[in-house]
Amino acid sequence: MDKKYILVKDTRRAGSNQTEHFAGLLAAKIQASPAAEAVQVVRAADIGFYDQGLVLKFLPGGPVYLNVSEADLDRVVRETVVGGRVLEDLAAAGTARQLRVVLRNCGVINPENLEEYIRRDGYRALSRALFEYTPDKVIEEFKKSGLRGRGGAGYPTWLKWHLTRSVPGAEKYVICNADEGDPGAYMDRSILEGDPHSVLEGMIIAGYAIGANHGYFYIRAEYPLAIERIGKAIEQARERGLLGTGILGSDFNFEVDIRLGAGAFVCGEETALIASIEGKRGTPRPRPPYPSVSGLWGKPTSINNVETFANVPVVMTRGGDWFAGIGTEKSKGTKVFAVTGKVKNSGLVEVPMGVTLRQIVFDIGGGVRSGKKIKAVQTGGPSGGVIPEDRLDTPVDYENLQKLGSIMGSGGMIVMDEDDCMVDIAKFYLGFCVEESCGKCAPCRIGTYQLLKILERISEGEGRSEDLDRLRLIAQAMQKASLCGLGQTASNPVLSTLNYFETEYREHIQAKRCRSFKCRDLLTYSIIQSKCKRCRQCFLNCPVQAISGDREVGFYIQLDKCIKCGKCFEVCKFNAIARE
Amino acid sequence: MKKWSKSDLDKIRASREPDRDWIKVGMSTCGIAAGAEAVFEYLRDEVARRGLPIEVKKCGCLGMCYAEPLVEVRAAGLPQVIYGQVNRELARLIVENHLVEKKLVSDHIYSFNREE
Ligand SMILES: Cc1cc2nc3c(=O)[nH]c(=O)nc-3n(C[C@H](O)[C@H](O)[C@H](O)COP(=O)(O)O)c2cc1C
Repeated sequence: MDKKYILVKDTRRAGSNQTEHFAGLLAAKIQASPAAEAVQVVRAADIGFYDQGLVLKFLPGGPVYLNVSEADLDRVVRETVVGGRVLEDLAAAGTARQLRVVLRNCGVINPENLEEYIRRDGYRALSRALFEYTPDKVIEEFKKSGLRGRGGAGYPTWLKWHLTRSVPGAEKYVICNADEGDPGAYMDRSILEGDPHSVLEGMIIAGYAIGANHGYFYIRAEYPLAIERIGKAIEQARERGLLGTGILGSDFNFEVDIRLGAGAFVCGEETALIASIEGKRGTPRPRPPYPSVSGLWGKPTSINNVETFANVPVVMTRGGDWFAGIGTEKSKGTKVFAVTGKVKNSGLVEVPMGVTLRQIVFDIGGGVRSGKKIKAVQTGGPSGGVIPEDRLDTPVDYENLQKLGSIMGSGGMIVMDEDDCMVDIAKFYLGFCVEESCGKCAPCRIGTYQLLKILERISEGEGRSEDLDRLRLIAQAMQKASLCGLGQTASNPVLSTLNYFETEYREHIQAKRCRSFKCRDLLTYSIIQSKCKRCRQCFLNCPVQAISGDREVGFYIQLDKCIKCGKCFEVCKFNAIARE
Repeated sequence: MKKWSKSDLDKIRASREPDRDWIKVGMSTCGIAAGAEAVFEYLRDEVARRGLPIEVKKCGCLGMCYAEPLVEVRAAGLPQVIYGQVNRELARLIVENHLVEKKLVSDHIYSFNREE
């Protein structure tokens, strides 16, 4: 008989971890059963379920039991371990699961081995396109699939290809946008590092569909490993005739080059990116004409995101209808999110469109790391906004996120808890945009700066009552008048925090209070003498010697020296530091 | 190097990989930043030193960045599992317990809810 394994984990959020206790108990009961030799009880570090009491997972292929009590253990051993029967009352019902379409090969294959990729159906889509489909039929398949661009705006991929194809001209280009510059986002990097051939294959197919013979990867120089791996993939493809003239024996020719970006956020914007490839300063220009009409070197150009391209081979091999079966009415397929911030399991998550934010954060992400209450989830980076706790049951798709005042963006998702101040968050993103604004148009150059100055003022306790209206006014002007997406969306972090958390703004302005204790200028620290045990920890740890006194007279914080770093508050074991 | 045709690709796909045991180490930026390179080198050398019939491979990011470095093990007779936050000491335990004694190592398995 094959050996069985039971993973054990106490997933309760509160209280002491009883994993060891339960695992020991279960092992002892199994020891005394007829199955003694055939089962190993193993303590898991993570069992894929959170806040579900004691969880048991039977391997290989067995059920998962949730909220198992000590009293259940006899039954579990008798019925499941010995008898091989599933206890339906304990078995986990379907919770949100990841679905790996884009990340199908990430972590599975060796990204530097072309044959491993081919064995996982790699370059099957390209063969099919070249030998079984006309370019128009390829585009038709993508129309059926409903695939939309993953770079932020969600433009239908088929339409972009169709438009680029329709423009007359023998010289056309495909560009892969791998500039990924949103703080907290790294989906594209991981795809390029973990499965470069899928992106390359997607790009070659796009070239075939629109009638382009040349492609460029535009990758930021901060991604050396991604550059190395995509470079190797290109070399391998060239050696084997997957790139070059007469690809796979067909009459299609395609070549690819890599261009490195210097890490300017604005160079992710398509017209700025094109300027950068042309060797010019990376600033946007007004559209129209769109790149599909006049792009790189003035030629029709389709520019697509890394994740968009990684979807392409799957749509071709499994069919547009299959792809359209995943997701919501208007947003098809899956989306990869980089879930970071105060979440327990930070990392990459790929889910079908339509899963709720709450499912992503709690069922997959494991909830808030600190156990504190979740305050909001930020999506879309500097172009996006915060979505408050009471909207987390919204199914994720392009339209829904926009309705909430945020955007899907490229897939950054930052979890925020009670310790995050919404004014501070808005300030962070605006600071980013001030740095990254290219300065070409006034609404963005001046608007971001003015927004930041007002936010700084509010966080320093100098806010004025008319500031909130002023923020809204500037934001509106920027949305309407900025040249590119950077300026048009840069105010989203301000507007969404203001929309959902106006009371927090008002507290800062009127009561000079920051409820998350983030805005330093609004805080005062003092020592509560009745609680102080005179252990000297604050005195020893203060980085600026702002605490005076000794064990005889007690310790006192000199407010004129205090930099409000919070170190004393952190190190005091007796809650004797007051923070107001 | 020989250029491939469509049928060459079909041949590669048809030639299934031999059904052998492997250890994969996640070696994307997140893994490397957390120390995956040292783990990979240790496993490769240790497996060679002991002459174990298992291949040590590199792969991309599995997605569970918080638990890097991640090591996935497929050894005949045991379920395929992922160990997280692997350091040299844990890598040694994986070799000794998982590969040699055929027992899963407690406290380090990260069992994620995902579908392929
Ligand atoms: C300021 C700014 C930065 C952008 N950065 C990126 C980026 O890093 N990656 C990306 O794919 N798209 C980025 N975009 C969107 C691109 O302009 C473009 O819409 C996208 O690459 C199109 O690809 P898709 O249709 O596959 O989504 C950015 C847009 C703006 C306005």
